[in-house]
Amino acid sequence: MSLTEAQAEAEHLPEQPPGVPGKGPWRLAWERLRRDRAAMISLAVIAVIVLLALLAPVFAAITGHGPQDQFPSEGVTPEGLPVGPSATFWLGADGLGRDLLVRMLYGARISLFVGIVSTLLATVFGVIIGMVAGFYGGWVDTLLARVLDVVLSFPYLLVAIVLAAVYGAGLPLLIFVIAFFSFAAMARIVRGQTIAYREREFIEAARSLGAGKVRTMFVDVLPNLIAPVTVLASLLIPTSIVFEATLSYLGLGVDPRTPSWGAILYEATDYYRVAPGLLLFPALMLLITTLAFNLLGDGVRDALDPRADRR
Amino acid sequence: MLPSKIILMIQGVESVQIRKGVAVTAAVTGVLVFGLAACGGGGGGETSATGGAGGGNEGQPVKGGTLKVIGSSDVANLDPALSYEAVASNLMRTWTRQLVTYPPSDDPQKATQIVPDAAETLPKVSADGKTYTFTVRQGVMWNTTPPRQVTAQDFVRGLKRIANPYKPSGGVSYYTSTIEGFQAYFDKAQKAGKTAAEIAAFQNATDIPGIKAVDDKTLQITLKAPANDFLNIMAMNFASPAPVEYDAYVPDSAELRQHTISTGPYQLQTYNAGRSMLFVKNPAWSQASDPVRKQYVDQIQLTFGQDSPDAVLQQLEAGTADLSWDQPVPTSAIPRLEGNQQFHIFPQSNLNPYIVFNLQSPNNNRALADLKVRQAINYAINKTAIAQIYGGMKIATAVNGAVPKGSAGFDASVAPYATSGDQGDPAKCKSLLAEAGVSNLVLDFPYRTSGNHPKVAQSVAADLTKCGIQSKLIATQASEFYGNYIQTVAKTRAGAWDIAGPSWGPDWLGNNGRTMIQPLFDGRNYADGSTNYGDYNNPEVNNLIDKAIMAKSAADAEAVWKQANAKIMADAPIAPMISINWPIYRSGRVKGAIFNTIGQGYDYTTLWLQ
Repeated sequence: MSLTEAQAEAEHLPEQPPGVPGKGPWRLAWERLRRDRAAMISLAVIAVIVLLALLAPVFAAITGHGPQDQFPSEGVTPEGLPVGPSATFWLGADGLGRDLLVRMLYGARISLFVGIVSTLLATVFGVIIGMVAGFYGGWVDTLLARVLDVVLSFPYLLVAIVLAAVYGAGLPLLIFVIAFFSFAAMARIVRGQTIAYREREFIEAARSLGAGKVRTMFVDVLPNLIAPVTVLASLLIPTSIVFEATLSYLGLGVDPRTPSWGAILYEATDYYRVAPGLLLFPALMLLITTLAFNLLGDGVRDALDPRADRR
Repeated sequence: MLPSKIILMIQGVESVQIRKGVAVTAAVTGVLVFGLAACGGGGGGETSATGGAGGGNEGQPVKGGTLKVIGSSDVANLDPALSYEAVASNLMRTWTRQLVTYPPSDDPQKATQIVPDAAETLPKVSADGKTYTFTVRQGVMWNTTPPRQVTAQDFVRGLKRIANPYKPSGGVSYYTSTIEGFQAYFDKAQKAGKTAAEIAAFQNATDIPGIKAVDDKTLQITLKAPANDFLNIMAMNFASPAPVEYDAYVPDSAELRQHTISTGPYQLQTYNAGRSMLFVKNPAWSQASDPVRKQYVDQIQLTFGQDSPDAVLQQLEAGTADLSWDQPVPTSAIPRLEGNQQFHIFPQSNLNPYIVFNLQSPNNNRALADLKVRQAINYAINKTAIAQIYGGMKIATAVNGAVPKGSAGFDASVAPYATSGDQGDPAKCKSLLAEAGVSNLVLDFPYRTSGNHPKVAQSVAADLTKCGIQSKLIATQASEFYGNYIQTVAKTRAGAWDIAGPSWGPDWLGNNGRTMIQPLFDGRNYADGSTNYGDYNNPEVNNLIDKAIMAKSAADAEAVWKQANAKIMADAPIAPMISINWPIYRSGRVKGAIFNTIGQGYDYTTLWLQ
């Protein structure tokens, strides 16, 4: 992260004159964020989850259970009920005799991947469309704003179900659907901010110096949008993860063999009375992850708010 | 979420068996495609005596009380000419009667032997086996005011209504394929008007050559060719009589549902569509006129809208309700219920689910047209694991032939691809694939997203992976699965699917080749909507089917059906997996309960309440 590198570099500069250290806005923000205990714990939790997701193959190797391997003789009772936690299946098995722990860890990969990629997509498109609408104004703005209204008024779950029915469920579709329904909110906010900045003096100055529209947009306006965009993006990630879980729960997600938290939760509904862990563990994982992202997002928002220090 | 009430997806558990008529094919039979439930339990195909609530040792029958039946959905059709649901056939028995029927019995052998009902005796059959003469039983009355004797003409009207153009019955092909002139009548009827008056006018003016009311008491039916299972067809609720009053209504219309006329021990007093039904004693019915039914309980109260199988079971256990209507016993509850006197598992006979191969698929260099590849996949499947998905080997029985136990042609020795413990044999699969010289197979495998089907698909896919076959799982809804994939000729020929896991259950047990082997394996009528999904066509098998249906007796037919079973399995057009039995729970006050296999529930007309 360039932010932390910059900070680390700054701290190790002996030539820095004592007395009044020059602190940039990013450094101030980072210091504010560091003082926010909830945000820091959340960051640690997210780091652990990412680490666990990365280490999923290690767990698969230790247990000897691949994420799609079924063990109908060991993981399921003769009556077809999943076995509980044991030395073989650390968190128990699911209805097909697959290792719940291994599937959850691989599921974390899917959930995080979907959450982050769809948020990135939504952010890129949201920022571009919002900025164009806000900056150009006139009929462009009217047109784009109406499009955003339409998108925002779609019943997203119905559209997702229809799309999945028509095009077949799958990871790319899932990411597209989530990004499609998230970008409009982003675009709205960016558009509002851009309109506000468009009339400011420094934009006028840039224009009078001969800067073109595109340059003004990306060089002068965009940096000012980073704070609100970062905050919104950090809040979009957990929403996307839950959205993925929802769609997978409805059977619209990825291949049923591919572990994802929503799919695991969906399968658990058959067994929650006899094997509550099947519902509990992935639900907790989902809860912790979304909570961590949300708290971190809150922290980032506070940290990026220059007025926060005056509290 | 799903398009029709036919498939109910409740907590991943599908509701009871549902039949779905596929009237497209010209000949063959009525057809039944079901989404049987995710049920598990203790009992099993081998132990046919698991059931038996023991009508004999529960003391003397007591009269009175209200039988409370609760479940999810209203009947799809109430009109006996149209009703084609298992649960509804159980209800039909309370207020409609047929010329012949099955006796209530816990002995599967006895329960499949046809007995007279609204006919005095079993019909006289002519020497050529083509003419059946029924005599209507004296004292079988319509509950009109005043009560009126049921006549042979009423049966003619009932049969004609099966072919009504407004909503032809799903079972119509049973009649068009057997009765002389019925097909021509059906074709003509479809072109007639669709209002109640037009339907009635057509019906009353047009005769079916093979069906004749000789007098008020005598009904004569002539067949196109001998059929040793014709009485099974006449025992279906489609062949119920219809009173002249029904001429005023469009079949199965809301008005008709409010004005049903009963011949059975109960009559429909109150019907709130989608919410409830109340049946009360029919005063026009007399015990002397009915050799199979009783009239112990005063009322039968059905309440719909209970969408959770767990909630239904809780009410039955608490005794606030007596029987479940269409909700299965939840799989997860079955281990807990085993040994409970109120819980039983009854044997059924079905291929539910089985794997069918698309013999026309151009994919993988037409690998599936190679017998060795199909045999390899037959060896690969772990049937025990599939059974576990439905609750284990007590609730499901591994099937190794083309016909499950309880259906015509079942032969325990026809099990060419059986594996040790029914657990599959990946090594054998691999070696056969090597013999066939194929590798890197990738199969398109559509599956239904409802009930246990996703798990079945994943389990089969895992078995295939073990012998090096990859599969592409395609999620579909149930209607799409049949209508858009495996029952569409163009899609089948184009290779939209390679293997699929449909479900099949016969419309009756015993002498049922017409509703088991013929619809699945007769290759002569392959068309859109066909249930011979993969286009299997072996002339030898087709000949055996004809021979069996026209055999002198059911016993003669049985031997031929067995030959057909062996021939079919040698060709391996399917990979049979399991047959699912029926777990059922009743409240403590239900006594004398006798399981009705066709209705998949206890016969309401033999039980009493303590």
